Amino acid sequence: MAKRKIVRRKSAADPPATGQGNGNHRGSKLELVQQRAPQRATEEDEDNEDGYIDDEAEEAEEDEEDELEDESDLGDYASEDDEDDHFEGLIDGAISDSESEGEAGDDATEGDDGEDDGDEETAMFGEDNEDVDQEETAEVITNSVSDDDEEDEYLSKYSAPSEAESLSSISSGEDDIRVAYHTTGADGKPRPIYHEIDPHYSSDDSDLEDTNTIGNVPLSAYDEYPHIGYDINGKRIMRPATGSALDSLLDSIEVPTGWTGLIDKESGADLKLTQEELELVKKIQLGENAGDVNPYEDTIEWFSSKTEVTPLSAAPEPKRRFVPSKHEAKRIMKIVKAIREGRIVPNKPKVGPEQDQPVYDLWADDLPEQQPHIMQIPAPKMAKPTNDESYNPPAEYLPSEEEKDAWNKTDPVDREKDYLPRKFSSLRTVPRYENFIRERFERSLDLYLAPRVRKNKLNIDPDSLLPKLPSPQDLRPFPIKCSVTYRGHKGRVRAISIDPSGLWLATGADDGTVRIWEVLTGREVWTTTLDDDEAVQSVEWNPLKGCGILAASAGERVFLCLPPIFDDETETMGQELLAAGWGYAAQPAPTDDINKEPLCKWTKPSTKLGNQGVDVVIVCRKTVKQIAWHRRGDYFTSVSPEGANMAVLVHQISKHNSQSPFRKSKGIIQRALFHPFKPMLYVATQRYVRIYDLSTQSLTKALQPGARWLSSFDIHPQGDNVVTGSYDKRVTWHDLDLSTKPYRTLRYHARAVRDVRFHTRLPLFCSASDDGHINVFHGTVYDDLLKNPLLVPLKVLKGHSVVQSLGVLKVTWHPKEAWLFSAGADGTAKLWTS
Amino acid sequence: MRIKKKHQAGAAKNFITRTQAVKKLQLSLADFRRICIFKGIYPRAPRSAKKANKGSTAPTTFYYTKDIQYLLHEPVIQKFRDHKIFARKLSRALGRGDVSDAKRLDENRPRYKLDRIVKERYPTFLDAVRDLDDSLSMLFLFAAMPASDKISARVTEEAEKLCNQWMAYVARERLLRKVFVSIKGVYYEAEVKGQEVVWLVPFRFPQNVPADVDFRIMLTFLEFYNTLLQFVLYKLYADAGLVYPPKIDSAKEQGVGGISAYVMESKRDKELSLQASTVATAITESEMESRAQTISTVLSKFTDDAAGDAVDNDQDDDEEEATENLDQFTALPSTDTAISDIIPQPEETSPEDAARNLLSPFTLFIGREVPLEIVEFAIISLGGAVVSESALDAYLNVDTDAVPDAGEIDFDFDARQREVDALLKNVTHQVCDRPALASRVPGRIYVQPQWIFDSLNRGRLVPVDDYGVGATLPPHLSPWGDGAGYDPEAMGEEEEVEGSEDEDEEVEGDEGDEEDVDIEEDKQEEEEEEEGEEDEALQHQRELESEAKGIMYSSATSKKRKRAGEKPKKSAAEKQAEEEKELRKIMMTNKQKKLYNQMQYGIQKKDNRRDTLKNKRRKLEKNKQHKKRVL
Repeated sequence: MAKRKIVRRKSAADPPATGQGNGNHRGSKLELVQQRAPQRATEEDEDNEDGYIDDEAEEAEEDEEDELEDESDLGDYASEDDEDDHFEGLIDGAISDSESEGEAGDDATEGDDGEDDGDEETAMFGEDNEDVDQEETAEVITNSVSDDDEEDEYLSKYSAPSEAESLSSISSGEDDIRVAYHTTGADGKPRPIYHEIDPHYSSDDSDLEDTNTIGNVPLSAYDEYPHIGYDINGKRIMRPATGSALDSLLDSIEVPTGWTGLIDKESGADLKLTQEELELVKKIQLGENAGDVNPYEDTIEWFSSKTEVTPLSAAPEPKRRFVPSKHEAKRIMKIVKAIREGRIVPNKPKVGPEQDQPVYDLWADDLPEQQPHIMQIPAPKMAKPTNDESYNPPAEYLPSEEEKDAWNKTDPVDREKDYLPRKFSSLRTVPRYENFIRERFERSLDLYLAPRVRKNKLNIDPDSLLPKLPSPQDLRPFPIKCSVTYRGHKGRVRAISIDPSGLWLATGADDGTVRIWEVLTGREVWTTTLDDDEAVQSVEWNPLKGCGILAASAGERVFLCLPPIFDDETETMGQELLAAGWGYAAQPAPTDDINKEPLCKWTKPSTKLGNQGVDVVIVCRKTVKQIAWHRRGDYFTSVSPEGANMAVLVHQISKHNSQSPFRKSKGIIQRALFHPFKPMLYVATQRYVRIYDLSTQSLTKALQPGARWLSSFDIHPQGDNVVTGSYDKRVTWHDLDLSTKPYRTLRYHARAVRDVRFHTRLPLFCSASDDGHINVFHGTVYDDLLKNPLLVPLKVLKGHSVVQSLGVLKVTWHPKEAWLFSAGADGTAKLWTS
Repeated sequence: MRIKKKHQAGAAKNFITRTQAVKKLQLSLADFRRICIFKGIYPRAPRSAKKANKGSTAPTTFYYTKDIQYLLHEPVIQKFRDHKIFARKLSRALGRGDVSDAKRLDENRPRYKLDRIVKERYPTFLDAVRDLDDSLSMLFLFAAMPASDKISARVTEEAEKLCNQWMAYVARERLLRKVFVSIKGVYYEAEVKGQEVVWLVPFRFPQNVPADVDFRIMLTFLEFYNTLLQFVLYKLYADAGLVYPPKIDSAKEQGVGGISAYVMESKRDKELSLQASTVATAITESEMESRAQTISTVLSKFTDDAAGDAVDNDQDDDEEEATENLDQFTALPSTDTAISDIIPQPEETSPEDAARNLLSPFTLFIGREVPLEIVEFAIISLGGAVVSESALDAYLNVDTDAVPDAGEIDFDFDARQREVDALLKNVTHQVCDRPALASRVPGRIYVQPQWIFDSLNRGRLVPVDDYGVGATLPPHLSPWGDGAGYDPEAMGEEEEVEGSEDEDEEVEGDEGDEEDVDIEEDKQEEEEEEEGEEDEALQHQRELESEAKGIMYSSATSKKRKRAGEKPKKSAAEKQAEEEKELRKIMMTNKQKKLYNQMQYGIQKKDNRRDTLKNKRRKLEKNKQHKKRVL
């Protein structure tokens, strides 16, 4: 039983091999088959009839070729060719559908081929065979062995390789009942002739699916092998031949009929479809009826106006056919009512856009006018036209040629006015305005696109912004005019000082001389050259009255002079003060390290200088830029900005001693001043003014004027206020009780501020700048702590000319009067009096 | 205390961007634009855009959130949506070729009304009147525009109708206050219900239509303005006791058109006419026969239109005088004990009234070269009667082409000629705009159109001498003055005053003069200091220089003296005050200083403009005088 089954399977599995060789390439078909045939012979041991099989294969192929040429024949595939078994499920139904057609076609082709009926019968029988009981199949095969020549075709298709097995089944001696008689075939073997087939249902095997015998193993599992599975005997089922590269090229050139480019999933052979099959597939894809259905069949009027002899229903006519409908009456009445009530207007006039909407008194119940909401911003009205828009403006409005050019050249967006004034002699000559529509359009855009914002327009007199200040006239005296000019220096006058009595003015200049002038007359009374190369940086009178000591610095040296212009008493006093320290200088301070170089050397001047009135020379390490006396006249500070931690030095005359108050550098020191009456030292660096308490030796405050580079500062005589000047044009007033930040920052000078000075007695201060101006201020400081200082600008003194972008370099006030002395880069000093 | 989240309150809540607004309203941008135009919703500039935009500084358009919130329930927006659906249905019907369906849909298309929006935007009537400027300007523009594929003829007709109704009202009520003929068009100002309404009317020429102007926007505006003006006019007419819409005299409409075709009918008259209408209908047939007669009545209206109306009004007024006259509040003779203030009462014949009836005694004949719509409007507004040449032409020649029967024409023509002659007898002024006239009718005063405008603006009849035929017109000044505060007329007077002095010399060195002064001022201080011999040296130097330039010694010295004399003009006190001011500026805070400088900039700009204008004027005068002298 099992054997028989195998036979059938084998017969089903094998033909695809031949089919493939046949379908794929006609040119090389024969070779292929010949190649494969020996292969088969070697593999199948029991196959000893090589030549026979070859012939069989050839014949079968030729036959199939014919069939293929007749492409319309679908039935052949269904009945004979096993390729049909490998069609997708999609096609299966179609095939079974068209079975009958195919068989009909089969007849025709067979007839065409000129083969006799017997062949057809056997073929039909074979088909039947597969469908019926397997026993029967086996029988058929055994019989087929003894079939004549004509039967070979059948055998080659279904059981050629299993010849031996079928033969063995013959030997079993079973005889088929259906065999009518046996004849001798062309090969001399007995051939059974069958009875007529009774075409009952069981004879139809069209539903049977032929599959190959590799089982449910995907073909891909054998990708690396020459075979595609095994048969029941463990023999390899070889892979059907695939074309070489050349073959595929040929294929691509000449596409065979029915070629789809698809590969059969199960057999790995090319899938081919006939035209009809393709159409069928297309139909199925479109969701149309794939069968033979006429969609446009004539309708049969079952229910017609014609009274048939045999009516469909014998029911009597219902009553509603004769009674008017109540429902309809109801609906009509509804409409009638609506018409009566005017809800529906029959023949209503068309409300087109032409028809005006009714106009009525919209503001009949006019509300009292209300303040608009705060967020509502009405659109600004268009600007009213001015004279220049007139068609006949006054002649002065007409633009000159340059103005016209300028207007034409500017971008339309940037134009102040969007038209050029024009003049027309009379109304009739006025043309249209080109931009009328555009301007209106832009106005429309403005109305709905322009963001609106409420801007408060300040409607005030600009003068009301000016601060209310007392008139300078009420704050007199203050310097107004230049009354004396001190000429004589050759070079910038850098230093200026007035002696405590207010009679003698000392000036130092870049030419290295110090000159003393009689204040009122402007007469030069004394002059000395301190240094030929270095400029005199600073000149300061000792504040002690009646000693006549003048300190001056040039280069690294500080000179203490006694100008011979005073009476003997003063002179002797001065000499005594200066000479007192020589003894101290001889013995070095016990604490000082001997190895350490002293900060400064107190030496006697050269005879030349001594003759000129210089008594002491203090040699420092760096250039001394500024000197400031303590109010008692015993100490003075010197500032040499490059001196790092020894920038500020405090010198004592009575002991000829110098000391450096700072251990570390504090930055570039600009100026150092003693507090007017407290033991405090004010030191200005580039940015800050630091206040040190000398008694506790600590920093008490650091003022931040907010300037980039301070040039100078001065302390109010009462000590609580500081005014600073800076190279970035600022003058700041600091109230020490208020904050470290300035109380007022003023910026009025056009160039750097060089010097600021308070008057010692009067509420005046001034600032001098490189723009050549001196600004005089009134600055009252009140005892009441709640009251802020009052600052009033009083006068701008202009007189110094600017030389090499330097103006007024130094100023100082007269000790008693409201007089101001100024030293300028133009080589003069000036006295400004009230 | 809850932690305050950022961007949850304040500006971030108050403002939303346009994109957000459009999303919120679920509208297309075009519909959003339309609703914004209708509802008068506009973008805002928040004080801090960054805060409003939740920290982003990208440029964005902001709307006030409550504006948009308020729009959510706007019925018009619902109509927009309905319209969208309608459009879809219609296009579908048309696509199917379903014509009847399409027709039915079209008949029932969703329509919106804007009257409620008008009321919302202008809760009171005065609000509406106050905001008429843009509406009128837009309507007048569209009235003057030709119909095209973008602008339908209906729109322009509607605009023209409304404009004429407005002008007819203004003219009848004598509300026109100012007329200014500019190069852009004619500006009018009317005082309606105490509100100034200014509008601009383009000249009657084909407009230049730029390609890049989006007429959809303009038409949306026009739609709203149309509705607004309809309701405003209704109210104005109703308040004035007139019938709205006014009847249109078809004969005149076909003749020259314009406001004269609008028959302003008071409501009482209408009632009377209604009573008489039965009689009138009986008459009509006979009227049809004697067409000449009817036209003569029409013609009489040409002349009497405004004046006649005015006369009618006067008659009405006469009747109503008893009631309308104000009672006089006479103050009791003040006793010593009780002193009463007297409130000024409006006088019966105020100067304003006189100004409004400037032309009432006159009949003005308008030449056909004069733009009728401008002049007619102004004249009727001033109470004058108008006989227009073009109307007469139209009247005399109206049927000559149409009716071939010669005899009848002759008859008609003669009759008409007689009527016209009768009309022309009354003419007192002729407005003409020609370089010269071939013949003049004795008794008539010939003026150019500007005479009417200038008279209207000044409120008095200006002398006609300057406005004669072909005369060079005096400048036409804006009744709103000059932006920079320059008054050309005052300047003229000033010039005259100055001219009485010896002007020539002063002007001569005009440009160099100021510089000289500056230099001198600078030097003055030094002079003061150095005084004496240096001064002499300087003078000598100057003399030498002037000699080189070729100025006579005597003239130079006189000039110098004069300048020396001028100097005290700027007195010491003034100078000092100026100096003090400069000093006080030092003490201003930074903020004040900035503000002050800004203000000074504006002032300076104005001053500069005024000065340049003045200088130009002086130069022109000088040239003129020079020319005169040469001649």
